[in-house]
Amino acid sequence: MTALASAPRGTGTRRPSREAPARAVRTLLRGLPTLPAVVLLAVFLAGPIAYCVYYAFTDMQLTGASGARFIGLDNFTRAFRDSDFLNAVKLTLVFVVGSAVIGQNTFGLALAILMQKATKPVRALVNGVVIAAWVLPEVVAGYLMYAFFYDQGSLNSLLDALHLPAQNWLYTMPILAVCLANVWRGTAFSMMVFTAAINDVPQELTEAAEMDGANPWQRLWRVVLPVIRPSILTNLMLITLQTLSVFGLIYTMTRGGPGNKSETLPIFMYQQAFQNSLIGYGTAIALVLLVVGALFSVVYIRLLKLEDD
Amino acid sequence: MRSRIVTAAALTAATALAVTGCGSGSSGSSAKSIKVVYWQNLDSTNKLQATFLASMVKEFTKANPGTKVTLVPVTASENDYYTKIQLMMRSPATAPDLVYEDTALINSDIAGGYLKPLDAYTAKWSDWSQYADAAKSAVTGSSDGKVYAVPDNTDTRGIWYNKELFAKAGISVPWQPKTWDDVLSAAKKIKAKLPGVTPLNLYTGQAGGEASSMQGFEMLLYGTPAGDKSLYDASQKKWVVGSQGFKDALNFVHSVYSEGLGPAKEQALGANFGTTVGTELIPAGKLAMDIDGSWMPNNWSDSAAKPWSDWQKVMGTAAMPTQNGQAPGSTSMSGGWAWSIPAKAKNADLAWKFLSGTLQTKTNSAKWNTVNATIAVRKDVAADASYLTSVPTNKFFTELVTDTHYRPGLPAYNQVSTAIQKAMESVTTGQASVDKAASTFDNDVKAAVGDDKTAEGSS
Amino acid sequence: MAAVATPPATSAGHAAPKTVTPRRSRRFRPSRVVINAVLLAVSALYVLPLVWMLLASVSNTNSFRLTMPSSLTLDNFDAVLNIDTTYRPMLNSLLLCGFGTAVTVVVSVLAAYPLSRYRSRVRRPFLYTILFSTGLPITAVMIPVYSMFVQVNLIDSMPATALFLAASALPFGIWLMKNFMDGVPVVLEEAARIDGANTMQVLWRVVLPLMRPGVVVVTIFTFIGMWGNFFVPFILLLSPEKLPASVSVFTFLSAHDQTQYGQLSAFSLLYSLPVVLLYLLLSRKLGGGFALGGALKG
Repeated sequence: MTALASAPRGTGTRRPSREAPARAVRTLLRGLPTLPAVVLLAVFLAGPIAYCVYYAFTDMQLTGASGARFIGLDNFTRAFRDSDFLNAVKLTLVFVVGSAVIGQNTFGLALAILMQKATKPVRALVNGVVIAAWVLPEVVAGYLMYAFFYDQGSLNSLLDALHLPAQNWLYTMPILAVCLANVWRGTAFSMMVFTAAINDVPQELTEAAEMDGANPWQRLWRVVLPVIRPSILTNLMLITLQTLSVFGLIYTMTRGGPGNKSETLPIFMYQQAFQNSLIGYGTAIALVLLVVGALFSVVYIRLLKLEDD
Repeated sequence: MRSRIVTAAALTAATALAVTGCGSGSSGSSAKSIKVVYWQNLDSTNKLQATFLASMVKEFTKANPGTKVTLVPVTASENDYYTKIQLMMRSPATAPDLVYEDTALINSDIAGGYLKPLDAYTAKWSDWSQYADAAKSAVTGSSDGKVYAVPDNTDTRGIWYNKELFAKAGISVPWQPKTWDDVLSAAKKIKAKLPGVTPLNLYTGQAGGEASSMQGFEMLLYGTPAGDKSLYDASQKKWVVGSQGFKDALNFVHSVYSEGLGPAKEQALGANFGTTVGTELIPAGKLAMDIDGSWMPNNWSDSAAKPWSDWQKVMGTAAMPTQNGQAPGSTSMSGGWAWSIPAKAKNADLAWKFLSGTLQTKTNSAKWNTVNATIAVRKDVAADASYLTSVPTNKFFTELVTDTHYRPGLPAYNQVSTAIQKAMESVTTGQASVDKAASTFDNDVKAAVGDDKTAEGSS
Repeated sequence: MAAVATPPATSAGHAAPKTVTPRRSRRFRPSRVVINAVLLAVSALYVLPLVWMLLASVSNTNSFRLTMPSSLTLDNFDAVLNIDTTYRPMLNSLLLCGFGTAVTVVVSVLAAYPLSRYRSRVRRPFLYTILFSTGLPITAVMIPVYSMFVQVNLIDSMPATALFLAASALPFGIWLMKNFMDGVPVVLEEAARIDGANTMQVLWRVVLPLMRPGVVVVTIFTFIGMWGNFFVPFILLLSPEKLPASVSVFTFLSAHDQTQYGQLSAFSLLYSLPVVLLYLLLSRKLGGGFALGGALKG
């Protein structure tokens, strides 16, 4: 079902295996169009990542020492004894689970489902404003969210008008503020994915369920969700990876503060590598970030594969 | 004044100053051109240095026909400026010929191998003897004793206070506190009598960068009984951790922010707060006391964005007292900026010629200290009548030099400074108690310099 | 199969109810009213920050409060509309992102074809790697990238920076493109092949015209991503006059966050304009934003 693990297409008949050399040549020739991509990716991404791996095991600094010594796992042992690092790991998980896995994913799905049932102008309106937030450059989104959550900002004006308790969001609960900001900015992505997926759910299935007397909730739960499961998993994987590396939004809003109350791993890494000039330590943290992303991916890919078999 | 956002767009760079010698295709740069990199403050209306340097370039190219000096302003927060110049200095292709940086950074960049020793040049430069020893030592390598930069200014710090607000609150002026408690009790009086006025500004937190460490924390720390040995013990060559003085200083920060004597926390922790203090809060009479630098009149001079001619009438200055009034009674911190030639500069000779022959002549040095309201590092300038009278507070701040302290000129200072800012921020927000913040600082310092390079404070 | 550029979604959703349910009962269904109300409330929350930006940009009072400006003014736009603040950075951005996007689109079309059409042992690992790379924290690799650029003397070069931006956008581009291509029936290609067309001709003449939505989607995604990227140009470009608008908006933000919300909002508005226009222009061809989602369904 998923596009990732799609069946072979269009190559016609298989050649017998004794023509192996010819087949190898053919494979190479067929793969030729990927060459520019492979070169670009190897030079600009794989190369630097390999360097990152090397840097992570050295004590390289931007200033304060010249040259770099190989120091083994010191950067990593240092990280896991550093309470700020552990704090950053915790906040990163809160941020990813809160704003992506729960926030964007669930909210995006809810919007997609509700929009099916809404009148056309309302649908167009929701679509427009949600996507507008997504199209805006990250820095601008961060600035707008800063203004929104600011002590004298729109949110508190609104809460005042509704006679609800206002508070200084960026100060008292910065991680909640940045999570909500990320939901605001990123939900459009999930919404678009799910809208398209739901449209692809075969009419017959829902109709059949309706005939059987299933109420809308049951139809959603028993028919729609199982059918769009692969979309949900792919979406989860993509938004998880994207959210893990969110930097500009948080940096614009809070710079990781106050204190370290919204300091996620990318911010912590940036501060160590550039502000503290500890390139070795900073890249070690980047590696940890990559590993966290890989772990999430493995889980999702496993689930997708299960689906496949 | 220093936020930390990553930027370098020199909004202010004149298009005319097309950068020639940098980047790809720079191999053909002639021996007659140099590239000079300096920091353009984020407050883009502040063009003091841009204007001054442009006039210097004019003077130099007139005297040396056929030469070309390219000014490259880097518009960024202070921390990002350092990141950017350090990246630039890493390779011959991008290294400037002359670079401007805080003397606190010099030793770090020496250890990074970025800077060129200037002894061969200074030995043949008669003016070098005019530079004050303290200033010279600030630009000397801690490990090899070589000179790596020519300082062009220094500064001192004290308390700026609003005489009118003090009078309204019933505190007699001129005012000179004897102890930290005197400062706090004045602040409390103002809080009680003048609602709407912020009693005291003490820079704090990571967004403030070095301003938090120096104007905020070290002005307190070096006034504790351990004095010059409160942060780094030069005789043992060890960083001091676990001292009572450190906790006392943090406690002061805690008092200011938890008792509502300081600015709103989120404002104080915000980026660019320094500019707000100088250009808005003080001129508007909304801040009664500010522990700040000798350069403050820059914000108010006729060439500033918002000139404030009344400042001489309204603002008073007082020395920062030591903790309990112990000798010498007052304390100050000094820093300053200096010009260096990167190790990978392509045209060091011409850069030196520009530096010694134009930028740092007595006349131009005096001019710079005057326009920038900084304290002179040259003895001949310091004695110059026009310099002393150019800014009325120059005399006061020049006298503070006797009891001033310099930051430890060591590569690790940057990291220690960041750890200080972190400790301040957690105490300011109330995220950590004073004891907790102090022990976090101890751990950070140990991680940064190694356990063997630290010593427990004596008291 | 998932990847088809979905037809405009509007019709599919309620074609069925129309025929099944009588008209009257549908119109007065209370759940529909509730749903509309909920969605309107959500829109209101969503639009609030945007409205604030619009108002602040034409207001002469500096405030984070959401209030109607007492009088309208264009002073804020006046203040930022000059070469150094707006025009040159915007032009730089257009050059960087335009070139980068073009590279990404062309290269990902080329790469997607074999991935979509042929099976090989390396295909699956390659795809997983690509998918994983979509979430790579670019901030992390900037130091080695910088060193590399210095060594080959590409630092401060706009084309090289654009190439790097293109490379970092490639994984997502390839992955999307491949999904779209999966939706183009192979049958049509076979006809062309029988007529003697080679792979490139097939790709150009048969496949591409059928997956124009895919190209549009990748273009939008890539361009939007590059337009907002400030960290890469900040590190790789040194000369002030080469820096794009994303960097200057950061400078602007840090310089003025205590003041001048008006100018900042005006600048933000101007800076956002190109991507919004691009989106409106291109998404119109797709019949709304839904095709964007089409390629992502898995």
